[in-house]
Amino acid sequence: MSSVWLPCGDYHQNYQEDQGWWQSTFIKMKMILLLLIVFVGIPILLPGYYLSVGTMVGYTAMGALGVQLLIGYTGLVTLGHAAFIAVGAYTSTLLVLQFPWPQFFTDLGLAYPISIVVAGFVAGIWSVLFGLPSAKVKGFYLILTTMAAQFITVDFLLTQYVSQIGGRGQAFSLPPGTIKIGPWVIDSDIKIYYLMAVLTTLIVITMANLLRSKPGRAWVAIRDNDIAAEALGINIIRYKLLAFFVAGFFAGIAGAFWVSNTAALSPEHFPWFWSLWLVGVILIGGVGSIHGAIFGSVFMVLVMEGLQWAVIPLSAYYPKLLFDFAYIKDSAFGLAICAFLIYEPNGLSYRWWQIKNYFNLWPFSY
Amino acid sequence: MELFLMSLITGILVGGIYALVALGWVLIYKCSGVLNLAMGELTLIGAYVTLTFYQAGIPFILAVICTLLVGIVLGFVTERIFLDKLIGEPILAVIMVTVGLSFFFKGIVEFIWSTDTKVFDPPIFHIKPIELGFLKLSPVYLWSFMLAIVLLIIFVCFFKYTRWGLSMQATADDETAALSLGVSARFVYAAAWAIAFMSAGVGGALLGNINGINISIGYLGLLVLPAVVLGGLNSVPGAIVGGIIIGVLQNLSGAYLDQFFPGGVKEIVPFAFMAVFLLFKPYGLWGWERIERV
Repeated sequence: MSSVWLPCGDYHQNYQEDQGWWQSTFIKMKMILLLLIVFVGIPILLPGYYLSVGTMVGYTAMGALGVQLLIGYTGLVTLGHAAFIAVGAYTSTLLVLQFPWPQFFTDLGLAYPISIVVAGFVAGIWSVLFGLPSAKVKGFYLILTTMAAQFITVDFLLTQYVSQIGGRGQAFSLPPGTIKIGPWVIDSDIKIYYLMAVLTTLIVITMANLLRSKPGRAWVAIRDNDIAAEALGINIIRYKLLAFFVAGFFAGIAGAFWVSNTAALSPEHFPWFWSLWLVGVILIGGVGSIHGAIFGSVFMVLVMEGLQWAVIPLSAYYPKLLFDFAYIKDSAFGLAICAFLIYEPNGLSYRWWQIKNYFNLWPFSY
Repeated sequence: MELFLMSLITGILVGGIYALVALGWVLIYKCSGVLNLAMGELTLIGAYVTLTFYQAGIPFILAVICTLLVGIVLGFVTERIFLDKLIGEPILAVIMVTVGLSFFFKGIVEFIWSTDTKVFDPPIFHIKPIELGFLKLSPVYLWSFMLAIVLLIIFVCFFKYTRWGLSMQATADDETAALSLGVSARFVYAAAWAIAFMSAGVGGALLGNINGINISIGYLGLLVLPAVVLGGLNSVPGAIVGGIIIGVLQNLSGAYLDQFFPGGVKEIVPFAFMAVFLLFKPYGLWGWERIERV
């Protein structure tokens, strides 16, 4: 059964068609339009500030997609994803700054691209390490293990030890010109935006492809009933660890990207709050769909920016408000999670689905 | 040896406070099956509320009792507004609502009381250490421990011997049977939250006496998670023993491991220990092992 709505008279005749990327011309056009908007429309039409908001959306989405893979598709609840993003960011930075690159590598601008890939692998392996308990425990106990990952990695290892490497003190900063991909030095909003757009697109494509192949089906089986999945011959430990690896890989790439965005790095960029934020993003966007993670990122980033816009004029009357903005943000985030879980547990992507269905049959819905 | 004994006893004394908070956690879990990640923020609220009462000129013991009353009210309100609607929802939803609550509470606490460290002024306990043989103990620890133990006994007695406590036990055991016997499940859930707020609140007030009150109290509140995992999620004695073990472990590692791994070992060890412990004995010392069937 196809998961998309097909026009009347259009039938799938084999499994391959059923799982195809673009099942109708309309969907193909829609996706090409989306790519055009992301890669051409937004950079041309919107000024720099909105591009940096877009970059933030992309960074959130990259992390959230990994969380979506773990929570939404494999049923492994993680509350420590920021740790893996941090591992990726630190791997990439240390590689760029400390590794003795041969001259022609830096000339060709290969150091940073290579470090992105390495960061992905290191973060993936680190994630598998903390995913090992998932062989034995699940649910609440796994939540606690991933929480431990957060505290051990960020608050202890990175803050106390990794930050000391190179004797730069607590925060690393990357000198201008070190983050270079091929001939392009990543130094302006628009270049960062394009890097984000390319990486996010690649991650989405990878994830969508994984989900429609054997690992994806195994993950969904494990999520729905792990004992039954095991009885069907799925090696659940291997696939759970694979899920951790892939999610960690995405997180590592997100972290390596974050370095180019800020050109500075310190453990405070990856608090426990950020792990919970990513989970909140997928809960609000909708658990168990790729576009859920993206909707969630867009929604959360825009709402927080909107809050900021609302607070700045008000702060003329209540100066304390600007100072307390971080706390208001915390509270608003908490309330948003509670409200969505209580009143709209299926998230924004369910609303999207309803709207789409309405227009599929419009104007004669019966 | 002296160092060992010192850390051991300090650990036991601090562990008593953790045990008190862990008890509140276990009661919520036993009665309503909610896995509460907001316990740290409940301790935070308790600490600040006690401080506010104390600075309004109310004696400490009365301030603690007032905190208990505020805890009851807050517990009932929280349960009615947020958690009542989530009975029967998937476990992730309930956990994430408590996470949302923790952000909400934390934001509100920071908004009202700001983030500076505050101390009980004038200090409630003498600074001068009590000397027991070669051991020097700060009276804060001793009194806090004693108060924690008294409250623990009161809570356990309430749970075992009063009508409300028994109805809570009945609901925890079998909700349908309890309902058919005329126990109001909704009241029981609310009561469990009220007790959790109360125990966390007193725990926060006591912890605040030791190091002053700031946001890190919330972190100390999170230490109940290793404690309850160690003891088993649904075991009241387990929570008490787990809390004390975590306190001891924390202080011993602070004394011995700090020289090898400088900086912050004390905060990390309970969680690292928990991660390893989960690999070997996920149901804790006295928790019920869940047998799963398709």
